[in-house]
Amino acid sequence: MSVNLESHEPLIVAFCCNWCSYAGADLAGTSRMSYPTNVRIVRVPCSSRVNPSFIIRAFQRGADGVLIAGCHPGDCHYHSGNYYTRRRFTVLKRMLEYMGIEPERFQVRWISGSEGAKFAGVMNEITQEIKALGPNRKLRDVR
Amino acid sequence: MKECSEKMRKVASDALQKQEVTAVLGWRKKDFWWQSPVAFIESVDDVDQLVWDPFTVFNPVKYLLEDYDCHDKVGIFVKGCDSRGINRLIQDKRLDRDRVVVYGVPCEGKADADKIRASFASKKIKKVTIDGDSLIIDVDGKEERVAAEEYLLDKCLTCRYPNPVVSDKLIWEEVPVRKGVNEARFARIDNMEKKELEERFSYWSRQMDRCIRCFACRNTCPACNCRVCIFDQAEPRWLGKANDMGDTLNYHIIRAFHVAGRCFECGECERICPAGIPLQELNRKLIKDLDEFFGEYEAGLDPEDNPPLGTYRGEDPAGFDES
Repeated sequence: MSVNLESHEPLIVAFCCNWCSYAGADLAGTSRMSYPTNVRIVRVPCSSRVNPSFIIRAFQRGADGVLIAGCHPGDCHYHSGNYYTRRRFTVLKRMLEYMGIEPERFQVRWISGSEGAKFAGVMNEITQEIKALGPNRKLRDVR
Repeated sequence: MKECSEKMRKVASDALQKQEVTAVLGWRKKDFWWQSPVAFIESVDDVDQLVWDPFTVFNPVKYLLEDYDCHDKVGIFVKGCDSRGINRLIQDKRLDRDRVVVYGVPCEGKADADKIRASFASKKIKKVTIDGDSLIIDVDGKEERVAAEEYLLDKCLTCRYPNPVVSDKLIWEEVPVRKGVNEARFARIDNMEKKELEERFSYWSRQMDRCIRCFACRNTCPACNCRVCIFDQAEPRWLGKANDMGDTLNYHIIRAFHVAGRCFECGECERICPAGIPLQELNRKLIKDLDEFFGEYEAGLDPEDNPPLGTYRGEDPAGFDES
């Protein structure tokens, strides 16, 4: 697999909660803020809908970074979904680091529906971080 | 030790005769000296198969599920580690406590056949028995006495619960907990955490490279008790079939994550692994983090409470940027 490091454009999968972060992305768009095209958004009903297998599978199939974006704690549309998200992905993130996966590759952020600017900012920041890391080779399928 | 086997046989035959139970799970002796697999006793005539020897390490708890759900009442012999598996199944609502009669067998540790083979010629060994804190190895009719401590399984040397935490009847007296087991619990994880990122990755990819995906770690684990395991599902297929590092890492990350907060550190996954992958280092890392972030929790002790990933508190800390 040959990847040109100079021109490598990372692929970032962002799982966005329908009620907050997806609305945040919408606001970023309607406010005409720009963020990198490297980010591909997957809309999920709640950040706790994201199965850890989704993340590992995304890495396997060519993602260089995965972001989970949900409502701030206390704001969950389903009352407590993001509290579970917080517990789950705190341990998963630390476990991936423990196994030698760069911590920047998998991130969790809280972005509300009114934070269009934050959404664009986070996407810019993450794209830059992952660009600096280069392509994900550790969890990727060789096929 | 012979008396121990006798006691077990007595208990099992009494229970079967009085029809308190219709089947008993214990251990029996198989062809070779290091083999003591799980025994399925369904009639009084078979009770003599039951043994208690240095190799009765297998956890019989999972056989209560698919294999023995045809029996309304099953008697089961459990060591300290196995007994927490009973609580595990009750907590996961896979087992009705009324369905089992639990016979607790306090355990001083089981022998590691590999360690014995390293010092004695395997083919010459006829029998291995334990007597207090020494192991008696019968090599070609000549009895060798060695300190049991040196030939026990690593997981037994760091066992924190040698006595059953749940039992209807204790078959013999409780044994003392070894010294220093609490300090040893996270020693390997602390060591690993100190290493550099790339070093950690090369360590784990080297370990996982040996994995043949036999799924023995999953099959033996009482915490892995889903009716349909995601790794067996064809649609959607969560795990590829190719011999690929990505898939192997996927399997091990997800397996460990699925038992996070539910693993009670019996160490069977690591012991049973034919490739010798240190799986306890993954399980214990998750336990350590859960303890650190969300308060100490000991799985498999109380079947009524909620495991840490099945509950939350508003003021939980997060391991990521919450700004």
